[in-house]
Amino acid sequence: MTTVPASAATAAAPGFLEKHHFLLRRLHSLTGIVPIGVFLVAHLVTNSSLAWGKFGLRGEHAELGLQGGGAYYFQKEVAWINNEVPHLLLIEITLWAAIAFHSIFGVYYALQGKNNIARYSYQGNKRYALQRISGYFGILFIFYHIATLRWGWSFLVPGGTAWDHKFAVSTLATALRGGESFTAAGVAVSIFYFLGISLLVFHFANGIWTAAITWGLTISRQAQERWGYVCAALGAGLMLAAWSALIGALAISPADARKSEELFNKGKGAAIVAPAGPNTAPNIR
Amino acid sequence: MSTHTPVDPAAIARMANRKTAKAGRTVIFRIKRCDGPGKPSYWQDFKVQVPKNANVISCLQQIALSPVTTGGQPSTPVVWESGCLEEVCGSCTMVINGSVRQSCSCLIDDYAPSEGDTLTLEPMSKFPVVRDLWVDRARLFNNLKRVKAWVPIDGTYASGSGPKESPEDQETRYVLSTCMSCGCCLEACPQFNVEADESKWNTDFIGAHAISQARLFNMHETGKRLAAERLEALSGAGGVSDCGNAQNCVKVCPKRIPLTESIAAMGRAVVFHKVKQFFNR
Repeated sequence: MTTVPASAATAAAPGFLEKHHFLLRRLHSLTGIVPIGVFLVAHLVTNSSLAWGKFGLRGEHAELGLQGGGAYYFQKEVAWINNEVPHLLLIEITLWAAIAFHSIFGVYYALQGKNNIARYSYQGNKRYALQRISGYFGILFIFYHIATLRWGWSFLVPGGTAWDHKFAVSTLATALRGGESFTAAGVAVSIFYFLGISLLVFHFANGIWTAAITWGLTISRQAQERWGYVCAALGAGLMLAAWSALIGALAISPADARKSEELFNKGKGAAIVAPAGPNTAPNIR
Repeated sequence: MSTHTPVDPAAIARMANRKTAKAGRTVIFRIKRCDGPGKPSYWQDFKVQVPKNANVISCLQQIALSPVTTGGQPSTPVVWESGCLEEVCGSCTMVINGSVRQSCSCLIDDYAPSEGDTLTLEPMSKFPVVRDLWVDRARLFNNLKRVKAWVPIDGTYASGSGPKESPEDQETRYVLSTCMSCGCCLEACPQFNVEADESKWNTDFIGAHAISQARLFNMHETGKRLAAERLEALSGAGGVSDCGNAQNCVKVCPKRIPLTESIAAMGRAVVFHKVKQFFNR
């Protein structure tokens, strides 16, 4: 349709990256929102139940208290994901592939820029720099997180705990503490988690702000400012969910967590053993 | 709807210095010098007796009259480029106290109001230095060519009068048309960096100025004829997608052009262009 400029015709044939520049750039932007961003929201909201889960039980197992109730509710959610969600492995592989794509291209794109906050310390420029720093850090964190808690690379966990979805809270707590109680290495892992989740929530909130400009949704300065408030509110909410999840996981002792898990697993086991008979299992909501 | 960006609060704070600045005070000009393309840079300090309302250019002229460093060493006049001396040509752009701006509109009273204050002058860092504060902005103009930042009226016969422009479009276009190709937006941009290899100029990030000019000419009733070609250039390598949204460009633009709005508008136009292309071609 359009004529090729003479200068382009004489240039060397463009490579794959150059030829599909637009598509790759937009895929990089899109994968950050769907599926990664959507998963992040679901993941953090689920995990925050470690802190508020007791209230989700609506009076059931009140004897477990705030922390034990949170552990019970979280274990219930993990069991639901592992037992009820169809095509779980396919969902996981899609997520891993999207994260790998977003990470590899993200690093490649980020390396083309050269931050200059020392000279131009505008707030937007600081967010530009932090977006890239949080990206780099986030890759390390997500890799460690998935490798240790999903792929079972327990040699990377202080104390060597392998995560088990039937004992979701106690194995998470021991992995974060570095054992039954806090060790120096465990504290380091916990701080790494705090930084990782905080930076990734920022990365997502700031990412959807810039994505709206990239895709041309917010054009006027006022629209960008308005959408900025929405993104900030979403980021603050997610930050709250992320921090409460971490606090919930760090506050409960592995022994207490095991009590909640055993109570849940026993109830579920009874329900599975006698599905046709009268329901003798504790009422699992 | 106002599309203008607010004035930098730091600039307003600096203006307050005008009231206290005393005529005849000594200001030290710390200048990053370079004897020619590819030669190493070095710093030299010069003392200047600054009259009221002096600007950087008039002080550089004073230095040229007797180029002796603060250490008493005879030197050469500092070279700079300038044209209009009223902030509309863009040629005297340099980095002053670490921030890019035009030197002609830079009053010493704002920056160095007290006896013995120092003002730092550097050439722009994103372009090759010709000499001292004079840089070669050829890449900036090359990038305007990439988006065909002009109205196509050349031909072998008279094409008659053009279509009418709407006042609304004119209003939006006016501020875009005030771009003087000074290079401030490129100097402050973390995505636009030094490129010595000219063969990469057409695939490296094009810069806010060119994106905004593409918007200007795509809105022009006759300029629209090249709209698809401009969008094609902006969708390719180094195009609008390579913007990192640091938004320094809009902060440093001396003409207060809403560059980030132009970037978003062209981002949207490029999406429509590519989707259309996907189904039509």
